[in-house]
Amino acid sequence: MIPNRNVHPPPVQSPRARWAVGIIGITAVVATALTVWLGLWVTPPDQSQGDLVRLVYIHPGVAWVALYLAFALAAVSSLLYLWPRTRSMFWDRLAAASVEVGVVFNVCTLISGSIWGKPTWGVWWAWDARLTSTAVLLVLFLGYLALRRVPAEPDVRAKRSAFVALFAAVDIPIVHFSVLWWRTLHQGATVLNPNLSPTIHGSMAWTLLLGFVAVTLVFVWMLLVRYRIGVLEDYLGTGELDVALRERQAEGAVTDEEEAA
Amino acid sequence: MRYVVAGYVVVLSILFLYGAQLVWRRRKLTRAVARVASFGEVGAPARSDDAGGDGR
Repeated sequence: MIPNRNVHPPPVQSPRARWAVGIIGITAVVATALTVWLGLWVTPPDQSQGDLVRLVYIHPGVAWVALYLAFALAAVSSLLYLWPRTRSMFWDRLAAASVEVGVVFNVCTLISGSIWGKPTWGVWWAWDARLTSTAVLLVLFLGYLALRRVPAEPDVRAKRSAFVALFAAVDIPIVHFSVLWWRTLHQGATVLNPNLSPTIHGSMAWTLLLGFVAVTLVFVWMLLVRYRIGVLEDYLGTGELDVALRERQAEGAVTDEEEAA
Repeated sequence: MRYVVAGYVVVLSILFLYGAQLVWRRRKLTRAVARVASFGEVGAPARSDDAGGDGR
């Protein structure tokens, strides 16, 4: 067989990596199921909020992933891509994966918050500082995803995407501190408040903590799978080009043989 | 309580559907990569500079 010098080796995922991703996925499903069970059936209703407090077991966890983990990871990855000494397509793929998953979590944050807001505030939506800055963050990172679909060389796309991610990340501290900087409808932080003294206790606190862990595990699993998709897409981008080149070479070889004959 | 149930159903459904879509995308791309790679290995036509003596 002729050695294939033109085609890049296909990106193979090791069995250990596949196993790790599978374990994280299964753990995430179990932790989520446990959170739902504790949140809906085990924990008591709140004195002031009643059963609505049960939404608190998923909403802050989802918001934590979307607003802090995913978009902050995207910002750090983008910075590391732009830094010449650490520039690598790994950081670009990680940022892209993180933003895509983060956008899904951001949508979940806005929807779950809205469902909680209707019976609590009487409206589905209010132009409140926290809600508005979160919606702006979603629009900014949707712009990031749209920009990545604009045809360009991989390094050009990575560079301009990184700049946009850093620009969008400016909104992250605004979202976090909005409840302190402005008088808002949205309540202040329950756990990560300025005094770092949680205002939730007992089984409710443990369920909230488990909710954070479960949603973080779901995020990690999605991030790993989405990163793998990025690797495969990049390979196909170059791989299909290589195949097309080989087809052209084959046509040329056949023509040469015909001329020689 | 219906708002609570609605919140859980909507959030978990979105996450489940997105997760399923990720798995489907990964599977589709893995097959496409295997197809491209197999063309490179088996279906790769001979190049005159690679071919050596017999041209295969």
